[in-house]
Amino acid sequence: MKILTCPLNGPRNISEFVYGGQVKRMPDTATASDREWAAYVFYEETNIGVVLEWWLHSPSSYWFIAERHNATDEIIRTFPADELFTQRVDFSSPEAPL
Amino acid sequence: MTETMFNVSPLGGQVYDGAISIADYTTRHRSGLRGAQARSLLIEAGWSVPAHPNEILQTEDRGFVMALSQREFWLLEPTRDALSISISTTAVDKDVYPLFCQSSHCWLVVTGELKSSMMAKLCGVDLSDNAFATGTVAQTQMALINCIIARHEMAGHDVFSLFVDHSLAEYALEVLLDARDEFV
Amino acid sequence: MTRIKTQYVGQWIDVTRSKQFTFDGTVVTGLHGDSVTSALLANDIWLQSRSFKYHRPRGPLTLCGQDANTLVQTPNTPNVLADRLEVEEDLRVSAQHYTGWLRFDLSRLLDWFGRFLPVGFYYKAFFKPSGSWRWWEPLVRSAAGLGVSNLSVSAPYNDKVYAFCDIAVVGGGPAGLNAALSAAEAGARVMLIEQEPYLGGSLSYHAFNGDMTATQLRRDELIQAVYEHQNIRVLVSATCNAWFSDHYLPVLTSGRLLKVRAKQTILATGSSEQHAVFRHNDLPGVMMCSALDRLIRLYGVVSKRPVVVLAGNDLAYQTAFSSQDAGAHVSAIVDLREHCDDPALAIHAENRGIPIYKHCAVFEASATTLGLELAKIVIHRLDQTDGIGEKVATIKCGILAMSVGFMPAYQLACQGGAVLNYDDETAQFSLQNLPAGMHIAGSVNSMFALDTVETDGQNAARAALRGLGMSVEADEPNVCHQRVNHPWPFVKHPDGREFVDFDEDLQIKDIVNTTRMGYRDIQLVKRFSTVGMGPSQGRHSALPTARLVAATTDRTVTETGVTTARPPLTPEPLGLLAGRRFHPIRRSPLHHRHVALGAHMMPAGVWQRPAFYGGTERRKSLIEAEVSAVRTRVGIIDVSTLGGIELRGPDAAEFMNRVYTFGFIKQPIGKTRYAVLTSEQGVVSDDGVAARLGENHYYVTATTSGVDQVYRDMLKWNAQWRLDLDIANVTSAFSAVNVAGPLSRKVIETAGCSVDLNAHDFPYLACKEAYVAGLPVRMMRVGFVGELGFELHAPSPLIGELWDQLMTAGEAHGIRPFGVEAQRLLRLEKGHLIVGQDTDGMTHPDEVALRWAVAQKKAFFVGNKSVDILSKHPLTRQLVGFELGTSSPQPKEGHLVIHDGNIVGSVTSCEYSPTMNKIIGLAYVHPSDSAVGSTIIIRTDNDIHVRPVVVTTPFYDPNNARQTL
Repeated sequence: MKILTCPLNGPRNISEFVYGGQVKRMPDTATASDREWAAYVFYEETNIGVVLEWWLHSPSSYWFIAERHNATDEIIRTFPADELFTQRVDFSSPEAPL
Repeated sequence: MTETMFNVSPLGGQVYDGAISIADYTTRHRSGLRGAQARSLLIEAGWSVPAHPNEILQTEDRGFVMALSQREFWLLEPTRDALSISISTTAVDKDVYPLFCQSSHCWLVVTGELKSSMMAKLCGVDLSDNAFATGTVAQTQMALINCIIARHEMAGHDVFSLFVDHSLAEYALEVLLDARDEFV
Repeated sequence: MTRIKTQYVGQWIDVTRSKQFTFDGTVVTGLHGDSVTSALLANDIWLQSRSFKYHRPRGPLTLCGQDANTLVQTPNTPNVLADRLEVEEDLRVSAQHYTGWLRFDLSRLLDWFGRFLPVGFYYKAFFKPSGSWRWWEPLVRSAAGLGVSNLSVSAPYNDKVYAFCDIAVVGGGPAGLNAALSAAEAGARVMLIEQEPYLGGSLSYHAFNGDMTATQLRRDELIQAVYEHQNIRVLVSATCNAWFSDHYLPVLTSGRLLKVRAKQTILATGSSEQHAVFRHNDLPGVMMCSALDRLIRLYGVVSKRPVVVLAGNDLAYQTAFSSQDAGAHVSAIVDLREHCDDPALAIHAENRGIPIYKHCAVFEASATTLGLELAKIVIHRLDQTDGIGEKVATIKCGILAMSVGFMPAYQLACQGGAVLNYDDETAQFSLQNLPAGMHIAGSVNSMFALDTVETDGQNAARAALRGLGMSVEADEPNVCHQRVNHPWPFVKHPDGREFVDFDEDLQIKDIVNTTRMGYRDIQLVKRFSTVGMGPSQGRHSALPTARLVAATTDRTVTETGVTTARPPLTPEPLGLLAGRRFHPIRRSPLHHRHVALGAHMMPAGVWQRPAFYGGTERRKSLIEAEVSAVRTRVGIIDVSTLGGIELRGPDAAEFMNRVYTFGFIKQPIGKTRYAVLTSEQGVVSDDGVAARLGENHYYVTATTSGVDQVYRDMLKWNAQWRLDLDIANVTSAFSAVNVAGPLSRKVIETAGCSVDLNAHDFPYLACKEAYVAGLPVRMMRVGFVGELGFELHAPSPLIGELWDQLMTAGEAHGIRPFGVEAQRLLRLEKGHLIVGQDTDGMTHPDEVALRWAVAQKKAFFVGNKSVDILSKHPLTRQLVGFELGTSSPQPKEGHLVIHDGNIVGSVTSCEYSPTMNKIIGLAYVHPSDSAVGSTIIIRTDNDIHVRPVVVTTPFYDPNNARQTL
């Protein structure tokens, strides 16, 4: 069984983790075309190389990011999500009264 | 909201004695705090707080602080009855939120020389003496369920404190007793 | 029977303790320490099984569990390796795979018909006409079956356990012992895993440098040091059955599977001695040199049968000499080579009176009159190109011991991605491309001279220590000049029966014909011919097959390769894999109260929930009574399994607004709202009730099966958005009951409530923190079952007390607990959908009329863009309510909805409603059939089509007057 190193909990059996998909930049929903949006929702990077992936350490509910080579399955690095997501994200447009 | 009486455990507060003993500490007092200011709040309140996540530290005469992350701490007070429980759950201070560990988890205390060998039948983390020192915590899985395992001293004994989901406590006790069979 | 027990002969046996067991009903006397095979050989019983395809007689080949020739049956277990099975008093062993008697197998005639059973026979013969396999299968299975499973045996205690070490050393021979010691000396925690019952490996049976005394002294020294070292854990009779990623090693031991997690692995797995290929090379009596060495050295069995040694290397000479020393009659050495590497050996043999046939090969072997055992061999000279020349001699013998070459035990290394290379000229192997942290040592690394083997073990330890960061020490230079592999010829015979694969009875022509049929790829050769598929998994057939395929396709063995090595290495007892099984069960804190009330419990995911209260024989009437109690008086249901998520902080409302489809910023404190989640694909993924308990405080419910995913998604979103709030999964911290029915308010008032419950102060959809019966609760007025109802959420340890108080208070009002079945029916009467039952992985809000729960003008919510895109497209289906008269067959969940002869949807829920006295249900229909009053077609069991009418939902109380009372 593979080992994945959680930045919070250290090396653990992969069975303690849940895969959360590739790290993708979400297009602006207000301006993105339908096609761009569909590509974001449905496409994953499949070229051979290093991909960024979300992983969750299930017992501690801790999300982090892994750099993994999708052909050799080598995990190059894992790091906390706030290395990549450094600031608050907001969506423009006013709240409709409800 | 005010507090109310509370002294119920799904495991009945039992003690299973033997070469490896398993005791139900569910009705002992525990509470938790989470948030950016949680650490400083605890230090102000006179608790000894571990320096790193996944460590547990004793505060003389009071109990233990278990750090589950940089911003989440559980206070374990084995000598104090869980006489009260609160559902007041809004922030206790700026960015500090009380947690629910008194009612979300059951607390089992395992003692005995061979407890690591017993746990090796249930858990994929190396809990042997040289790999899992006193004062360390593992948030992991045991027999397919999530479990927090802390190694610390209590009343002069080297113990594992196990925290399992309230609804899975009976299952957890069953598998522990079954795993313990060969050591008793 | 005489057995020899001296210092170095018969090491494993105890001549003072005899053991009687039966083999095929005959009483056999063995000794303590014997394997079944060695005890049988000591009694001169050589025929131990029949082959798989031709039912040919077979005897021991390797004597170390590496071949299928000694598979036997014990009362409870088929396919036991007799050469690994220790004899016990009263053990009952039988041969398997014969018809009638082992010595007179009625199926042996198959051998004569062999030419009608060409390679690929089964594939070709039994599949025409189509369906005929059904007729053939039982016949083929009965002829080919291996052993009988005893289905009435009770499973022995099996268990699994994790084990941890820094370095796992697989193999306890000279390389492994040295590796383990060197690593342990440097402070590493070592686990030494040995398949045999004793450490030592070849040191126990092979006289290195011709000196058994020195060999054994060295062995004893190493073993003692290993056992005395506190850093080494020794496992014997333990098989490392695979190498998985990151050094995860399943190790089979008796009754317990060890899940070993190492940081580095040293494979000192040794090598498999290979057989020569000639006519009748499978006769009982033809065996490996190492097998004969083991027979004498370990078990003290010295047969009176004359021995001939077939040599492809110098090692074979040691077998000849040590057999003679032990008292065997060695009649000749047949050497495939012109000369020994060490010329002294030839002189030594001459001095011992053993004739050597140089540059000769065994052309054929023949059997005794009954055809059961080896009687003699025919020797031919080899020509310049190692082709078969003229006949030289016929030699009578009972044992032919072969040593022509070794193949590394490469399987574990190759499971880890290593590549096995073979030099066709020198017949040397090398393993390359080992995965990180894996090291090889000893004969698996082509080291055969003892000093090089030991150094190799130490070097492997050095490499492993460097990998652990525990050492920077470089390897000792180490080169082995001893050659043990000979590119031995395949001696093709006009009458065939030169076996390449003993397990599958494959001869030279079978492999050659396979390539001629176009299967050039070694993987295809294996699949078509079945070579290497037997119990020994190609340990002896892989190399000859690769060489044959290479030769007939003009390639090298490295180019041809060997077939992929996959786990497991050896067959695994299923009981060991099963071990103790873990089935987590979640129980509500009220579980035992339900059981005491006679509840019929049913699984709901990992939870146990009451289906209804009472015996299953009255299921229907009990459910109806429970429904009726809720509709007419009051019922109570345990909804502790409901998910709960606590959202607190300045951004709680903003977060809610982004995650759920509805608007939540303006939600008043003290009110609940229906909350729907869509995925980024716009699919309805979960729903619940959001209670705003404070300006910065939401408590949201989620479905039992969905809450974990909802919670994870929330955490993941906020790892990206970084809003200022705390998200906590409080599913287990809070348990809940729903008190529903016209009298529910009275029940709670009777129990005592800290707040006024009248419709003005606590209206439909209100929520409050309050005390009921003195216990703190979060109270919500909800309408899932369509009656006046209160959902009370309390800390889990208190819910038992709350339940008891409510039951007592409700007694006068006729309160009745109801289960999941009644709840499902009650909500169906209200037309409420259950996410996951009435929705699927494609359902978007428009299809299930949830557009009202989707805010139109929010800047963003998860899935908003997809929901927008989907709503621009015409609907392809719609969920509607339908009803049928009670005389109609009742559709079931999953029954198909037909429109114009096409399938357009299916029934998602359907029940008989006692309240309405109708069959009601929900189904996906074609949009043109979705209008109220349309008739739809549902295909029910036995192709009966029913035609229900689409009606408005709720079916019951369409104006929702009752729940808002």
